[in-house]
Amino acid sequence: MTVLFRAFAPILVVTLAACGSDPAPGPTEQIVVRESGTEAPDSDATSPAAETNDSLIAAGKAAFNTCIACHVVEKGGANRVGPNLYGIVGQAAASVEGFNYSDALTSSGITWTKEELDSYIANPAARVPGTTMMAGAITDTGRREAIIAYIEDASAN
Amino acid sequence: MTDTKTSETAPKKGKWTRRAFIGAGVVAGGALVIGVAVRPDNPVERLSPMVARGKGEQLINAWVKVDADNIVTAIIPHVEMGQGVFTSLAQMLADELDADWSKVRILEAPADAKYVSHDIGREFLAPNLEVPAILEPTVGGTFLQLATAMNLQITGGSFSVRGTGQRAMRVAGAAAKEMLIAAAAEEWNVPAGELRAENSMILHDKSSKSAPFADFAAAAAEQGLPNKPKLKSPKDYKLMGKAMARHDIPEKSNGTALFGIDADLPGMKYAAVKAAPVVGATVESMNVDTAKSMPGVLQILNMGDFIAVVADGYWQAQQALGTIDAKYSKTEGDTLNQDALFARYASVLDEAGDEGGDVETEQGDVTEAFANAATKVEAEYKVPFLAHATMEPMNCTAWVRDGKCDVWSGHQAPLMARKAAADTLGIDTDDVTYHNAYLGGGFGRRSENDAIIMATRIAKATQYPVKMIWSREEDTMQDHYRPSATSRFQAGLDKDGNAVSWSNIHTHLFDPQEAPTVPYYNIANHKIRKIDVPTHLRFGPWRSVDHSQHGYFIESFVDELAHAAGKDGYAYRRELLAGSKRHLAVLDKAAEMSGWDKPLPEGHGRGIAFVPSFGTIVAEVAEVDMTGAKPKVKKIYVAADPGFAVNPDGFAAQMESSIAYGLTATLYGEISVKNGAVQQSNFHDYPILRINEMPEVEVGIINGDHKRLGGAGEPGLPPLAPAVTNAIFAATGKRVRELPLSKVDFA
Ligand code: HEC
Repeated sequence: MTVLFRAFAPILVVTLAACGSDPAPGPTEQIVVRESGTEAPDSDATSPAAETNDSLIAAGKAAFNTCIACHVVEKGGANRVGPNLYGIVGQAAASVEGFNYSDALTSSGITWTKEELDSYIANPAARVPGTTMMAGAITDTGRREAIIAYIEDASAN
Repeated sequence: MTDTKTSETAPKKGKWTRRAFIGAGVVAGGALVIGVAVRPDNPVERLSPMVARGKGEQLINAWVKVDADNIVTAIIPHVEMGQGVFTSLAQMLADELDADWSKVRILEAPADAKYVSHDIGREFLAPNLEVPAILEPTVGGTFLQLATAMNLQITGGSFSVRGTGQRAMRVAGAAAKEMLIAAAAEEWNVPAGELRAENSMILHDKSSKSAPFADFAAAAAEQGLPNKPKLKSPKDYKLMGKAMARHDIPEKSNGTALFGIDADLPGMKYAAVKAAPVVGATVESMNVDTAKSMPGVLQILNMGDFIAVVADGYWQAQQALGTIDAKYSKTEGDTLNQDALFARYASVLDEAGDEGGDVETEQGDVTEAFANAATKVEAEYKVPFLAHATMEPMNCTAWVRDGKCDVWSGHQAPLMARKAAADTLGIDTDDVTYHNAYLGGGFGRRSENDAIIMATRIAKATQYPVKMIWSREEDTMQDHYRPSATSRFQAGLDKDGNAVSWSNIHTHLFDPQEAPTVPYYNIANHKIRKIDVPTHLRFGPWRSVDHSQHGYFIESFVDELAHAAGKDGYAYRRELLAGSKRHLAVLDKAAEMSGWDKPLPEGHGRGIAFVPSFGTIVAEVAEVDMTGAKPKVKKIYVAADPGFAVNPDGFAAQMESSIAYGLTATLYGEISVKNGAVQQSNFHDYPILRINEMPEVEVGIINGDHKRLGGAGEPGLPPLAPAVTNAIFAATGKRVRELPLSKVDFA
């Protein structure tokens, strides 16, 4: 809905020069993680066999990729879409400073025992109706256990 | 003032099936297409090599087709971005054709040079050229060549109805009718003069014979193209001037309308992108450790000027992109801050003094007139950068394979988009098929090619179809902005308060060239100059382009002159417009509608502003309530003369939406730079007018000259800001010389 007078001169130049125009540059760096058409590894299916604590933590670290868009586990780390989860195990819900929690979580009265974390991560909206954690639920029990172990371990550092 | 009672049922839009949408992008075959040349004595041989690229292509504009069921399809060479142009243009064509409106369908022309809007090229090259006939073989032909060369299949400049509609769609409809009548005359063996058309039928009154258009369509296509199809005079209009319901209302209400962002292809993946925050910088390094292992991620691309993450889903791509830490190259732009930019404008204007800069218009001797003036008035105004904030964020889908490319988007200039994709890939335009869809807002933003080029580059790297969608943050921070600007005025008044000199110097001139000028005001001496102050930020046309800031500058200053002369803003403008009947009629109507002389409650004020632009004369009166902490705009009265309002309801809607868009900018609109990067990112810091802030709007239309149509999309915007700030002055005595109002302390 607007005028293109301005476009006039430059386009004319482009048009006249078009015969010899070079194509735009391709990527300077192209990281192909996976080819199109190949399936993403179904991580839900590969529940870790939690033999040792170390491998449980390692599996939890990998599984935490589901959360990483919204959470960090880092002393003094920034809040993202969700709060920093450093030291969350045993902590009262909605107590990370500077994060704007939902009323639902603030008034939930929950203390994040491992069992409470497990039920929240399994289905946040079911455990705390009205929570603003809209994604990231983990259905696999083993993976939840691993994630909680990882968070606890990362908080000990 | 909109006539909703006569509103008729909407014609259906020719259905682009999902397959057609992603398919060939050419006009579906089967029906009979009547080719109508806008240029009758077309030197086809001479022009064909330039414009008719493909095999068997002819230099004709095929804008009318009639099928076996007597359905008339108007092929529209413009894009629909909410402005209702499909409906108005179809009205113009169908009226001249005497088609049955209930059987009219609408089809957007394919991105093909045959549908080029050559009138745009004509007006832009020689805006003052007066050509007596509506058909100007030589002039039109020249411009068709140029326009085609420039790939101007543009929807912009408030041009579609007054240009293409008036000079092409009406002619196409009238020509098609004459061809159908000629074919019927042969078949029935009666003189063509005894036949007439009505409701998609050909009638022979003497013998009471009648038959549908469809019966003659094939024979009509064989007829020679009429040299000068006869156009109707207003008294015979049946559809033009009526508030026909917009054809796109049902699909936009029930959600079936397809926008560029709805493109959907088998095997399509999604790209999220982040450009270097400072335009001109490149991505030096990126840390992708986290992004690489995130769900759904397929590729991470450093494209130099931006980073793209391609994933199975858009959310996944966006989330992974959010974890990438990038370092960017240093550029000269890095040091730019908004305050420093305004300081730079000031020093450049200081340096220019009385003589520097480029003179845009000059008349008489301002220096002498100013020196001898009884009263001298000076003022400086400032406006910030503005983003477009289209509701549909920028997006484009592309698929590059086997040396060919398909592109899907919503673009204001489909042919330009096609060429941009071709140039990006270094292939021929013939190897690019461009599919246009509805635009979820354009305002000039969708006349730029940046999104097309980015998507094409990503698709070339992946070789599979990719839909790139910008986040709102990218949309806000990587726009092509309405420039921030400073404008300084000096005027001299004689002892009676009449303006005798008008000098202005401002930063930038983009377009239209007449935006800073005031030829309609009776001021003997004027001089208007500009100085370019380039920055690394990209400028782009924004609804009403330079009129958006100059309307505010000029009409604020005129109000200051009125005040200095001890006169009322309306009366003062009347004197300035003395002798210009059409202008005065518009100004008077706005004043009358608003009850200009009636008292307002304490703390309320009325302001008036007058700006002719894009061929339409507009005056607006704003009523503002200043009793609260911030201004509350209560009501806007709009009087407008577009020559002739083809669809009064559509015209009024464009005035209303211009007010919503202009009020957003007046109250809140501000893009600022810090360390070279745009500081605003989303609606929390670049707010859009809320529905409870929308003033009541009353539109009065004057049909002042049916031969000279004006635009609708933009002219409602320029008077809005000054009408509001002049009303604030009336209420409070405080003159607002810098926008937006959110920066002004009214306490
Ligand atoms: C889409 C973003 C998002 C994802 C993905 C996400 N979360 Fe959250 N999370 C949030 C938000 C937002 C809140 C705050 C909820 C509220 O205020 O109601 C939250 C809250 C939490 C809390 C409570 C924090 C407190 O201080 O009380 C825990 C525990 C938590 N998330 C764990 C996880 C884990 C573990 C994962 C991955 C399996 C995950 N989240 C994935 C957004 C997310």
